[in-house]
Amino acid sequence: MVKRVDERGVPVHADADPVVKVSSLTKLYGELVAVDDLSFSLEAGTITGFLGPNGAGKTTTLRLLLGLVAPTAGEALVFGRSYRELDQPARRVGAVLESSDFHPGRSGRDHLRSLAVAAEIPWSRVEEVLALVEIEAVAERRVKTYSLGMRQRLGLAGALLGDPELLVLDEPANGLDPAGVHWLRRFLRWFAEQGRTVLVSSHMLAEAAQTVDHVVIIDHGREVASGRLEELTDGGRTLEDIFLELTGGAS
Amino acid sequence: MAQLRAELLKQRSTRTGLGLFATMLGLVVLAVFLHGFGLSAEDLAGTDVQLMVFGRGEFLAAIFAALLGAMSFTAEIRHGTIRSTFLVTPRRGRVVAAKVAASMLIGTGFGLVAGAAAVGAGAAALRARGIDVQLDGGDYMLLVLGSAVAAALLAAVGVGVGALVRYQVPTLIGICAWLLFVEGLLVGDVGGLGDVGRFLPGAAAAAISGQGPGTLLAPETGVVLLAFYAAATALTGALATSRRDVG
Repeated sequence: MVKRVDERGVPVHADADPVVKVSSLTKLYGELVAVDDLSFSLEAGTITGFLGPNGAGKTTTLRLLLGLVAPTAGEALVFGRSYRELDQPARRVGAVLESSDFHPGRSGRDHLRSLAVAAEIPWSRVEEVLALVEIEAVAERRVKTYSLGMRQRLGLAGALLGDPELLVLDEPANGLDPAGVHWLRRFLRWFAEQGRTVLVSSHMLAEAAQTVDHVVIIDHGREVASGRLEELTDGGRTLEDIFLELTGGAS
Repeated sequence: MAQLRAELLKQRSTRTGLGLFATMLGLVVLAVFLHGFGLSAEDLAGTDVQLMVFGRGEFLAAIFAALLGAMSFTAEIRHGTIRSTFLVTPRRGRVVAAKVAASMLIGTGFGLVAGAAAVGAGAAALRARGIDVQLDGGDYMLLVLGSAVAAALLAAVGVGVGALVRYQVPTLIGICAWLLFVEGLLVGDVGGLGDVGRFLPGAAAAAISGQGPGTLLAPETGVVLLAFYAAATALTGALATSRRDVG
């Protein structure tokens, strides 16, 4: 797909729909309110940090967005449609939800190939993404021999198979060493510079502050703040100050 | 079709299928030899007993095919690959259908090999003891082909049960307990209900390979009944899979 930009160099999406549009999204698990009337949308070409304390509903929201979990009320749309109604979703959206969603006895290459076959993506693309995340050398090894960092990269390779326009990552920096975090940050910036969009959940604020340009902060399933990071941190306050104040964690 | 090819690749790319196949084959030879050398010559002279001994191929192929089918689903739950599977193919009914088709194909192979191995081992055991084999070409054909059909259909049942139960250990224990133990308790006149045992899936699978003439259903009736069980469990599993949340 051609990435278009307007006269100011800001990426323009092919259709008018926002990349992600979450409207009054609510999810109940019995009595537990996991996501509570949440609304936000993402523009193309941005890296949005989806922040909140543990148990705030970040993971549930991402699963609602990706059609794995059905909403109790409201809707979550990607490119104007619910995920489950997208044609060839792997070519539009890539996602890494857990750091180790692999069969331990399958090689990294075979894991990617099985996804590629189902998505009707040629195996040559498997080699490309293996190179992109720099794990060609271990591609033939079974995943059980992988370090956490290699697994994170393999997950990312799977998300990138379809050369998607939107990347959704749940806590991708967990367990990465400093070099891995640095690599991930550069990778996400490179990805977004092409007019593509990233939604990345995190509770590592210092890291998030260095990577993202927009934030959506939630607590108890509700949005407590959103906007451009620069505007939120205007006046010399750090993302951590704002986060702790809004989520009631300030001492 | 893409989903079917993906499922076959998933099956090929771990050692699970090969492990199940080797275990099944070893148990077939062991079971046939235990019967063939353990039973009295008098017992073994009868057609019904010979069909039962030679039918250990069908029996074990059916169990292992059901386990293979179930694991095609439960292993994805256990290792979390179900998430990327459903992200690539959000139409979950297609995923379940592809698992049914792939498991039936592999189950057919399990059934053919196990059926043939049991017939070969059984004939060798009887010859070694100087006991005449009472079975003819038609019986052999039914034992081998019936084993293939029975295993294919039970593979589909396994996928359905796996999709319904989802958790690997309870699923596998449930399948083994049912086929190895529970059905055995329900043979004969149960609680005045009549001979309901022969209508159960394991008994229908045995009937397909020509075992228990007179006590079990006719082979063709067994095929129809087991196909019904396969369709019912697979459809129920697919429906449940489409509606449930994937955590």
